[in-house]
Amino acid sequence: MKKVIEGSHGVSEAVRLANVKVMSAYPITPQTHIVEALSEYCEEGLMDAKFINVESEHSAMAAVIGASSGGVRTFTATSSHGLALMHELLHWASGARLPIVMAEVNRALGPGWNIWMDQTDSLAQRDTGWIQLYCEDGQEVLDTTLMAFRLAETVNLPVMVVLDAFFLSHTFEVIDVPDQETVNEFLPEFKPSVCLDQDNPFAMGQMAPPPFYMEMRHNIQQAMMSVHDAYEKIEDEFDNIFGNRYGKLDAMLCEDADVVLVMAGTAASTARTVVSALRKKGVKAGLVKIRMFRPFPVAEMREALKNARMVAVVDRNCSFGVGGIFAQEIRAALSGTESRQKVAGFITGLGGRDVTPEILEEIYEAAQKMEDAPDEAIWVGLNN
Amino acid sequence: MEIMVSRSSITTTGNNTGAWRFVRPVYERHTAPCSAACPAGEDIPRIEALVSEKKFKEAGEVILMENPFPSVCGRVCFHPCETACNRAGFDDAVAVNSLERFVGDLLDTSDGSLPFEAKEKNGKRIAIIGAGPGGLSAAYFLSRLGYSCEVFESEEKPGGLLRWGIPAYRLPEQVLDREIKRIESLGVKINCSTRLDSSFIETANESFDGVFVGTGLGSPIMMNIPGEELGIGWEVFLKEVKKGTQKEFKGKAVVIGGGNAAVDVARTLVRLGASVTIAYRRRIEDMPAFGSEIEIAISEGVEILELVAPVAIVQNAEQLSIELQSMKVEGQDGQRAKVVNDGDKKKSIVADRVYSAIGADVEDEWKGAKTVSRPGNRSALYNEKIPVIYGGDLVNADKSVTSAIGSGKEAAIMFDILLAEGGSKAGDEEAVKKTTAACQVGDGQSLSFEAYIGGERRNVVEGVVKFEDINLNYFEKTALKDKNSMKADLNGFDEVESGIDEVSAIYEAVRCFNCGICTDCGICSLFCPELSVLTGNEGRRIELEYCKGCGICVCECPRAAMSLVKEAE
Amino acid sequence: MLEIRFHGRGGQGTVVAATILAKAYFRAGYFVQTFPLFGVERRGAPVEAYLRIAQEKILVRSGVYKPDHVAVQDPKLLESVDITKGLKEGGWLLVNLPKPPEDQKPYAGYRLASIDASGIAVNHGLGTRTQPIINTALVGAFAKMMGDLPFADLEDAILEEIPVKGEQNVAAAREAFDAVDLIGSFSLIS
Repeated sequence: MKKVIEGSHGVSEAVRLANVKVMSAYPITPQTHIVEALSEYCEEGLMDAKFINVESEHSAMAAVIGASSGGVRTFTATSSHGLALMHELLHWASGARLPIVMAEVNRALGPGWNIWMDQTDSLAQRDTGWIQLYCEDGQEVLDTTLMAFRLAETVNLPVMVVLDAFFLSHTFEVIDVPDQETVNEFLPEFKPSVCLDQDNPFAMGQMAPPPFYMEMRHNIQQAMMSVHDAYEKIEDEFDNIFGNRYGKLDAMLCEDADVVLVMAGTAASTARTVVSALRKKGVKAGLVKIRMFRPFPVAEMREALKNARMVAVVDRNCSFGVGGIFAQEIRAALSGTESRQKVAGFITGLGGRDVTPEILEEIYEAAQKMEDAPDEAIWVGLNN
Repeated sequence: MEIMVSRSSITTTGNNTGAWRFVRPVYERHTAPCSAACPAGEDIPRIEALVSEKKFKEAGEVILMENPFPSVCGRVCFHPCETACNRAGFDDAVAVNSLERFVGDLLDTSDGSLPFEAKEKNGKRIAIIGAGPGGLSAAYFLSRLGYSCEVFESEEKPGGLLRWGIPAYRLPEQVLDREIKRIESLGVKINCSTRLDSSFIETANESFDGVFVGTGLGSPIMMNIPGEELGIGWEVFLKEVKKGTQKEFKGKAVVIGGGNAAVDVARTLVRLGASVTIAYRRRIEDMPAFGSEIEIAISEGVEILELVAPVAIVQNAEQLSIELQSMKVEGQDGQRAKVVNDGDKKKSIVADRVYSAIGADVEDEWKGAKTVSRPGNRSALYNEKIPVIYGGDLVNADKSVTSAIGSGKEAAIMFDILLAEGGSKAGDEEAVKKTTAACQVGDGQSLSFEAYIGGERRNVVEGVVKFEDINLNYFEKTALKDKNSMKADLNGFDEVESGIDEVSAIYEAVRCFNCGICTDCGICSLFCPELSVLTGNEGRRIELEYCKGCGICVCECPRAAMSLVKEAE
Repeated sequence: MLEIRFHGRGGQGTVVAATILAKAYFRAGYFVQTFPLFGVERRGAPVEAYLRIAQEKILVRSGVYKPDHVAVQDPKLLESVDITKGLKEGGWLLVNLPKPPEDQKPYAGYRLASIDASGIAVNHGLGTRTQPIINTALVGAFAKMMGDLPFADLEDAILEEIPVKGEQNVAAAREAFDAVDLIGSFSLIS
């Protein structure tokens, strides 16, 4: 049923429909609306689940790791400093191969204290062994959360569903919330592959000395690479049932594009209007919306960008000393190709600064004028 | 795809981490400061642990192990336990005395069911002179050791000071009767209205194997002032009231003295309808009476005139005039103020009656007790043909009911050592010292009967639990509840303090740190990194194959019930 | 696509007003998007909320800077906040005032609409005289002003969004719908 709800509640509705059994979270703006709704669902009996109150995000992740080890579907949500505090446990979750799903609301890290949109918090967790999926609107948030459970449980790796602070989490829009029966068809009851067994006790997270550790890491890498196929199959099924598909990335008008804009999150949605407007003016603009960041869709990225003269990556994040994180990943992906497209990095929209159509047009025009891509990222929209 | 995670079904029992150990944790019972301070040596932390678990009967039985008078002591003991309580350093002392009364009053042994079996009669007979708290306690413990006891009491009912010296509003007679009945149910024979004199000891060996003398302080201390004979002795007065020959007195009374006896007389007079003034030679804060008793007396309308010493009592028509010398403070005399005559300032007050309550002394008949050797803390041994042991107020430094009980117990243990079959010879003071030292409660004056008969308390190690030994992380500060509520009915001799209810008792017992005893809280097991704290049918124990001696359990133990000991080299 | 900006004070239900209208337009068959001014809301401090209404899926997810119309919940804001900032020429400016302003010069270039939302709210027992809850009256007037929102859809949206005093709120919206004074455009030249 279509409803006007906010993006945060797109997550909550999906988690309710996914029949999650154990949740644990610590409140942090802008994640609070997600978990408030979930704790109310538990209280009102709309969910047959246990919501564990904890004193920190570190404990929240520890709690869901414990619950997931016990063999039930689990969920948590956080943002920014909360995610940073979880960092250690993120490794524990993936290393234990637990299919935990987490909503992560992209928010800046302090200081200066800032509760607004910024991608650095989630991107800084890229090496933790978590699958990362970025969303651009409320419907995608709900759909991605549902798919995340399937994906996590298929490959036995945890999934982070990432949504922009406020631009997505606090914005009301029309979201189609499916009914329980349909969701059950897509997402059956959880059957754990890694789970404690009272009859055959074993210890998890044991020491893995040099003869074993490397194999275990290789195994995680293989699992991560298996996501590509698994994701495609799951999305096919999702499309069959719900009629929506998103791809690992979404290439718009790239075949003949001169400059292709690349970005993730809500800015990509705004960029769609910019690209359409430019096309109307006869400008050969293209757009790649990054949805899957881990594993990185290298093949799809190469394919989408193969004809572009210039790739303009819009990063709402910064790896200090290098530049935008998406730009680096794309450069790395393209480095093995013969065409080796030029990649210009643009940094904008940090700490909640709006990414307006005007900003995106400005970036496009700048890229269009470039012969060569500059080594350093260009910061757009700085106050003079 | 195969999922590789670091998991192991191989038991770690192959890692015998116990081999790393050079110290080992042990469960050790330590003495709580309250128990060490208790004149009867009660196992207070265990009593409170049981109360907190709602095991009131079991708690009462733990008291009975060391003290036959829980209901009496729960009312009249001056509770040094509460002064010593470690919890006082945290918020407030546990209301041990109120809890003892609560437990004692619930303990019904009227069907003769006692929580222990008396030893088989050993054929030995002990004569006990005086049925006060000391003599009755001696009879109680001796009976449990297999001795036949015969008590000789000059009054018509047993109880001694408990019956005649403590007013009913503090200790109702039926409470006393109940506890005496319990002692009699052990087979103790009490011969009332039978006064013995000291010549009895000369020939006692013909019928008895030992004699306990607990005749108390039967002789009032005189003021040695002109007109003293116009006054009334406190012990005479209180006895008359108890016997019902004194029912009403509406006049004005002056009570001379500052101890509990003076306050008891004053509060009793209030109940007879008198208006009462206490005249005391030092200041109110120097009065030896319990502070709480003084407060209640004042609240009941007793006037206290401080810094006055009586010099004469003169008949003044129908009334008496008491001449008083004013005193002033000049320095300290121990805890109390030292007072001297304030020049020749004098005053006089007029009253219908004057009561003297400045104390009591040993009757001449039994003064011999003061000069004999003292192998025990609370009893004196005078050895003739058979052991003769003096106890109670005859020998105790503090003249309290509970100390008398403690001395009766000590005497019973001494008799048992001295009369042991094939054991120590009569008069073997060394044997007495050695054995009693082994059952001393902490560093206090009391002996534990449980330890003597080989019970669990025998394993208590030396030393008393200090405040620093308690792990305060496991305790929360709590508000102090009203210990007892007061009923201010001055028209009769109903009990003034009402006691606490079950809810308050459990609340209060939960507050107890349970210093030095294991309450099975499980903290040691929770923290043990090797899971080597095991619980089973044999109780809690350490699996030494795996205990690596890290000591976390000992550090975490909330109540100092564990210690680390060095492994033998 | 239409973009509308709402001005109010923290605690006046500004976000709720925008949400009611979003739900009403959704019922009327439109795509909608609504969001508050992102940040920390304080009671009594000026707040803004935004509403986008379109026939097709709304892709723009940045802020609203050039609204087509503006609605003002609190008359006092007319003095302290630049309520016409970015307002497109000829756009509606709906204000909550006891009666239409005598001096309409400040609103030149826009179409003015006036409604005594506070008075209507009080009449229907919504809030108190000093703190009337005026958002349902305001959205009633707004619906009439826009001309494209069936009142039935607004009524349903109000009942969905406001759990208490549903009938009184609908009645207030209806009264405002009928009473709003659509003064219209005012030109300095004429």
